[in-house]
Amino acid sequence: MDQNLCFIDAFGPLPVIQPQTVAELGDLVRRAAAENQAVYPLGGQTMLTYGLPPTRPGIGVNLRGLSRVIDYPARDMTVTVQAGITLAELQELLRTENQRLPIDVPRADRATLGGVLATNTSGPRRYGFGTLRDYVIGISAVNDQGQDIKAGGRVVKNVAGYDLCKLYVGSLGTLGVITQATLKLRPRPEEQALLTLGCRAEAVGPLLDQLHRSRTQPVCLDVLNGAAARWVTRQTGIALPDADWIVAVGFEDNREAVAWQVRQLIQELPAGQVPGLEARVSHAAEPLWRGLVEFPHRPEARLTIKANLLPSATAAFCLQAAALPEAPLLHAHAGSGIVVGHVDADLTPDRARAMLKELQDSAAAARGNVVILHCPAAWKTALPVWGAPRGDAWLMRSIKERLDPRRLFNPGRFVDGI
Amino acid sequence: MLSDRLRDVVGRDAVLTSASDLMVYECDGYTIAKNKPDVVVFPTSTEQVVQVVKLCNEYDVPFLPRGAGTSLAGGCLPVGGGVMIALTRMKRILEVNTRDRYAVVESGVVNLWLSNHLRPHGFHFAPDPSSQGACTIGGNVATNSGGPHTLKYGVTVNHILGLEFVLPDGRVVHTGGPAEDNPGYDLTGTIVGSEGTFGVATKAWVRITRNPEAYRTLLGVFETVDDATNTISDIIGAGIIPGALEMLDQLILQAVEAAFHFGFPLDAGAVLIMEVDGLEAGLDADAERIVAIARKNGAREVRRAASDAERLLLWKCRKQAFGAVGRLAPSYCTQDGVVPRTKLPHILREIQRIGAKYQVRIANVFHAGDGNIHPILLFDERDPDQVKRVLQASHEILDECIHCGGSVTGEHGIGVEKIDFMPRLFTPEDLAMMLRLRSAFNPDGRCSPRKVFPTAGACIEPSRAGRRAAL
Repeated sequence: MDQNLCFIDAFGPLPVIQPQTVAELGDLVRRAAAENQAVYPLGGQTMLTYGLPPTRPGIGVNLRGLSRVIDYPARDMTVTVQAGITLAELQELLRTENQRLPIDVPRADRATLGGVLATNTSGPRRYGFGTLRDYVIGISAVNDQGQDIKAGGRVVKNVAGYDLCKLYVGSLGTLGVITQATLKLRPRPEEQALLTLGCRAEAVGPLLDQLHRSRTQPVCLDVLNGAAARWVTRQTGIALPDADWIVAVGFEDNREAVAWQVRQLIQELPAGQVPGLEARVSHAAEPLWRGLVEFPHRPEARLTIKANLLPSATAAFCLQAAALPEAPLLHAHAGSGIVVGHVDADLTPDRARAMLKELQDSAAAARGNVVILHCPAAWKTALPVWGAPRGDAWLMRSIKERLDPRRLFNPGRFVDGI
Repeated sequence: MLSDRLRDVVGRDAVLTSASDLMVYECDGYTIAKNKPDVVVFPTSTEQVVQVVKLCNEYDVPFLPRGAGTSLAGGCLPVGGGVMIALTRMKRILEVNTRDRYAVVESGVVNLWLSNHLRPHGFHFAPDPSSQGACTIGGNVATNSGGPHTLKYGVTVNHILGLEFVLPDGRVVHTGGPAEDNPGYDLTGTIVGSEGTFGVATKAWVRITRNPEAYRTLLGVFETVDDATNTISDIIGAGIIPGALEMLDQLILQAVEAAFHFGFPLDAGAVLIMEVDGLEAGLDADAERIVAIARKNGAREVRRAASDAERLLLWKCRKQAFGAVGRLAPSYCTQDGVVPRTKLPHILREIQRIGAKYQVRIANVFHAGDGNIHPILLFDERDPDQVKRVLQASHEILDECIHCGGSVTGEHGIGVEKIDFMPRLFTPEDLAMMLRLRSAFNPDGRCSPRKVFPTAGACIEPSRAGRRAAL
């Protein structure tokens, strides 16, 4: 076992252990429990600042040693892999069979499947393809007793037993260490296209409403403000329209369907009111896709937030956030009501709190919330990292108490300090 | 008395206690096991459900929710009696929001009513179990129902955004909501498919799906079941995700043809209903690829539904196939196993072998694209020897599904019927973990006791004399 050290939100140093088998991991968990040490699962550490700081000394457990492909019956369009595989490794494997997991993950070269599951990562294509909860059909995890437990199975349709897959996805490692998952896959699309167009502030809302009514079926309906678009341009070299707001509409389907949708969408748009309209088809769309996918990962940002809203409220929320004096970079998955914002400017915790309060009120009115994806560790005690409290938090706490009564896994880091 | 107190809560016309009234509720679509509840109540509001649940706690009696009672696994069987909470009078569609693509419904709303209600808006509720004319959204939530079109569109859980849920102690919780990605555990996803063992869903925020612009519905006629299953495998393997991919074998075709006169060839080994849907553009390309794949696998002919009426008749034949089975035998029992798609040829050969071994006639009509089989075992329930052989054959088929790396239920649920299979799908540690999860919702096991798990409800002995006397 390799041993080194890590910090989580300036908490540490924690010794890091890398088990090579699930049995070794089980032993580690049992030993930690016996010694009253907490267990902090680690993947590619691309989202390590997500959540509250740890509350108990313990060990970091690096899952990279568990990265085997257990079974890939490509004709069944499922794959069973261990949690330590990176998303890039997984997608490369699936590409050999012209398949994919249609989940967008920043830093796929480092992000592990286990980490992506624990954080329920998603990106622009979620509008067309959904999120991880729609793809995980089986899951294995090491529980608080060091046992390797599983739920679901390896078939695409299965209702035997409780669906722990749903519970583990997005649980931030607080219910056990995910060791393995079976995923439903999709064929790679024959064709793709990304349309971009510029837009004035007051036109964003009406344009999104119109796109929502379009006869076309976009798989991505994203909005960026000028600052975010300039960042994407710097990262990818892709020139985007010089406008206050950029809308990006993505299509993936067979050739005929993509070609028709590109033509149809252009026809539907109000003539003369969409400066800089450009359609990137096939490989030409790749760099921009990458820019949209990578946007949330920006460790140099002072503060990164994520809002979830009713989709119809996205435009108004974005305009409100853009008008803040800190001028955040904003990127919305407008079809799904998800907005990610980075603040680079000098920011005090007080100012951050005031800003979050303002945005949170708007999000609440849009039936959603605002959480922090990334900020300085020292701020976390003073900021609502997991957003406004929800009425169902007590039930979440009750589940945590039953499944991890000694609070072994990632103690203190999740919603309501779970 | 509890029944009087219940009448105070829901009204006199909303409580059933007489033996003849209760007989209707002694079983659901799984008729092999029967037991009457002691009382059936029909609340009309969440508040009434809460009061009923609190009374059950006060009088220390078990209770269970029931929708339309279409479960094929005994999901609504009141094991040991108690209070049955029938949600069929909570049937309001409270909100439709097409801009944000959700609807809010009470749990007694019938699945098809919702899609009918949404039709003028150009939307539907995607899960479409064959029982959709009767089954309720609450029942769909409890069992995580599927249906033919779930191959492309997903099962119930993929379309439930949030729930209003009455816990077994009478507390009400709102999980999820109309916006996606709420912080915290996915309680909604965890509750869906828990078969009524976590509490009573009273309201659901459901995703609504835009109606496809166009369909191409193809009927492939094959000499053998193998040719049909190989076609399925090749279509999926070619990267096409049809809206639906359903198989009917020769025996079921005869029953369906006698009932609906569609014009199915009675000498065919099997037919496939293959449907692609979505945008008009590109649909012909997919349909042509499917036709080519079917021909390559020896299809005798591939017909195309020429009109919408013909398409609807084809789907009627499929969805009412179970009803047509009455023409073949007085009773039937259907199974719900799942195998990896590529194992379909194998499992169908095994079903044939097992049928011959136990001298049971078995018809097949199922969601082939998902690998979700529905062998229909024909028998006469008046003959105990036949019943015994049917159960033996059923179990052997499900054993083989497990052996193939599959599951014993794709959409019907464990209920009471398949409890004995749980220890074979899961280790004692897996089951213990699931029971710990249940205890977070239902610590006393008062709600839906003795369901899903071999040890379920062990904390309560609901048939204890004193408790029933309280009713």
